[in-house]
Amino acid sequence: MIVAGCDVGSTTGKAVIMKDHTIAAYTIMECKPRPEETARIAINEAMEKAGLSSVEELDYIVGTGYGRLKIPFANDNISEITCHGVGAYWLRNSVRTIIDIGGQDLKVIGLDDSGRVAEFVMNDKCAAGTGRFLENMARVLGLTLEELSTISLKATKTTAISSQCSVFAESEVITLLNLGEEIGNIAKGIHESIASRLSTLVRRVGARKDITIAGGCAKNAGLIDVLEKKLDTDIIRLPEDPQIIGAIGAALLATEKLERSASLKSAK
Amino acid sequence: MTALEELTKPADTLTNPHIERWKEKDGKVIGYYCTYVPEEIIHAAGMLPYRMRATGSTNSELGDLYASHLTCTFCRHSLDQAMRGEYKFLDGLVALFSCDHIRRMFDAWRYGKIDLPHSPFYLRCLSVPFKVDAPAVEWMAGELDRFRRSLEDHFQVTITNEALRQSIKTCNEKRRLLRSLYELRKKEAPPVTGAEALAIVIAGSSMPVEEFNQLLKQMLGELEGRDGFSDYRARLLLAGGELENPAYIRLIEELGGLVVTDFLCFGVRDFWDLVEEDSEPIAALAKRYIQRVSCPRMIDHPRRDKFVRDLVKEFKVDGVIIQRLKFCDNWGCEGTMTQWEAKKDGIPCMMLEREYLMSAVGQMRTRVQAFLETIRR
Repeated sequence: MIVAGCDVGSTTGKAVIMKDHTIAAYTIMECKPRPEETARIAINEAMEKAGLSSVEELDYIVGTGYGRLKIPFANDNISEITCHGVGAYWLRNSVRTIIDIGGQDLKVIGLDDSGRVAEFVMNDKCAAGTGRFLENMARVLGLTLEELSTISLKATKTTAISSQCSVFAESEVITLLNLGEEIGNIAKGIHESIASRLSTLVRRVGARKDITIAGGCAKNAGLIDVLEKKLDTDIIRLPEDPQIIGAIGAALLATEKLERSASLKSAK
Repeated sequence: MTALEELTKPADTLTNPHIERWKEKDGKVIGYYCTYVPEEIIHAAGMLPYRMRATGSTNSELGDLYASHLTCTFCRHSLDQAMRGEYKFLDGLVALFSCDHIRRMFDAWRYGKIDLPHSPFYLRCLSVPFKVDAPAVEWMAGELDRFRRSLEDHFQVTITNEALRQSIKTCNEKRRLLRSLYELRKKEAPPVTGAEALAIVIAGSSMPVEEFNQLLKQMLGELEGRDGFSDYRARLLLAGGELENPAYIRLIEELGGLVVTDFLCFGVRDFWDLVEEDSEPIAALAKRYIQRVSCPRMIDHPRRDKFVRDLVKEFKVDGVIIQRLKFCDNWGCEGTMTQWEAKKDGIPCMMLEREYLMSAVGQMRTRVQAFLETIRR
């Protein structure tokens, strides 16, 4: 049984190929303007890595992410909230809370003991605390995203950024730069401001442990460091790339759909 | 055109051919902003009660002249429509202290630069108590009598008790018919969608009641031959305040959540309770409007809670979605309490914040779909 999960997000496209409950290959790529194109390229790259040549060879494909309705070859689409829950729980079934920081929104998902989504909150009305916000801040500081993370870990103190609005925060950062503040300290302040927002959302769904993190921003060690201090707990890392958790969940749900229809058929 | 088609049309526009025909016969139309305004009194004065909407508004730049960015967007858009002269078919407007937003919008109607069609334009703001008890009913009777007399004075008409009794009967008939429609929605395969039901309720306050009753009767007959909707993932109850856009429900239903009942003011709160037909009419109206299934503006949460629980049981509801206009204070509190109670009962419940215009549709789709997936994967 070969299935795929394809997660077309706002910033990156991800595809995971699964053969009999194990990950055969995956890919992560920058989004193209059109979700159809992103999906096509992502699945082709992942298939190539898995030694497959055509989507016909895949038994079932589940699409997810903001572009999920525009994935031409998907058999079904499932929201990224459910997919993240399924993916994270499969990788570590001690997980009860998932923080997903994507390009354009934040989601915090609470799972029950059986791994089902019990509750979720989203911050989707503004860019505060999203990947887009971090990209903007890194640009103002003249850093790459990786540098923003490492420089923040070396900060000697935290410079408070009081605004959670990404537009106002940018002017605040520019003011701090003009006052001669250390860039590392500003970087830490930026992470601190996102972590504040996140910790509110995490507590809103109950902050049950274990807490884990997914999405592109999960690669930002500087942010996670601040967040762990705010939440006063460890944030566990999943044994796969945090960007593909949603796609893994989609592939697992594809497997589930196939198995369910197979058992229905044999019951008949 | 079938009666169903005819009844789902008025929700798409501010005015419609029914109102235009009424106006051609020199009929008067009185707009009202809230389900606590007794349509019977307007009806008994020989006028057409029209529940205010902002349908068709695409922005609120003129309304924002008087409203702040913390005012609910329904009020801002409605005010904008008023300032653009879109309500010229009205001969008067009645508001009440439904909430701070509507009350302050009424100030703009009274003092602002609104292009009013007639001079003097009939404007009235009713007072309605916040408590549901006997003194409130008694006080309300006095207020309704003052409302009746003010209409009489302004338009030089007489509103007799006999006319009031007749209007009560006509409006009760509308309510009974709407309840029959909702009764059909209890079926395993309801013959109407939630989007259609909303449009039908809206039509009920957008045309002469007699015409509406006629069409609704016809439609109920038509529905007997219609196949029901059984291809859904979950049966939903949609709660919340002002919602006049069937497309909002359509989006939920496209994702597989069939709205089978509601707790909306263009919904059950508008028509659920009848008025006593044999009592003194003003007293009967006062009693009904104070004791009816209430809006969160009333200090009456336990009764509302029970009412919603009963709906959940009767309509076999799998999940509750609360839609709340941003900055709506009443629904901010009520929605939170409803969520707590639903959680206690193990009923999946989600609150969605919205603005008057449908925006961020992608995000809404994600939330609703994820919610439906938590009910049934």
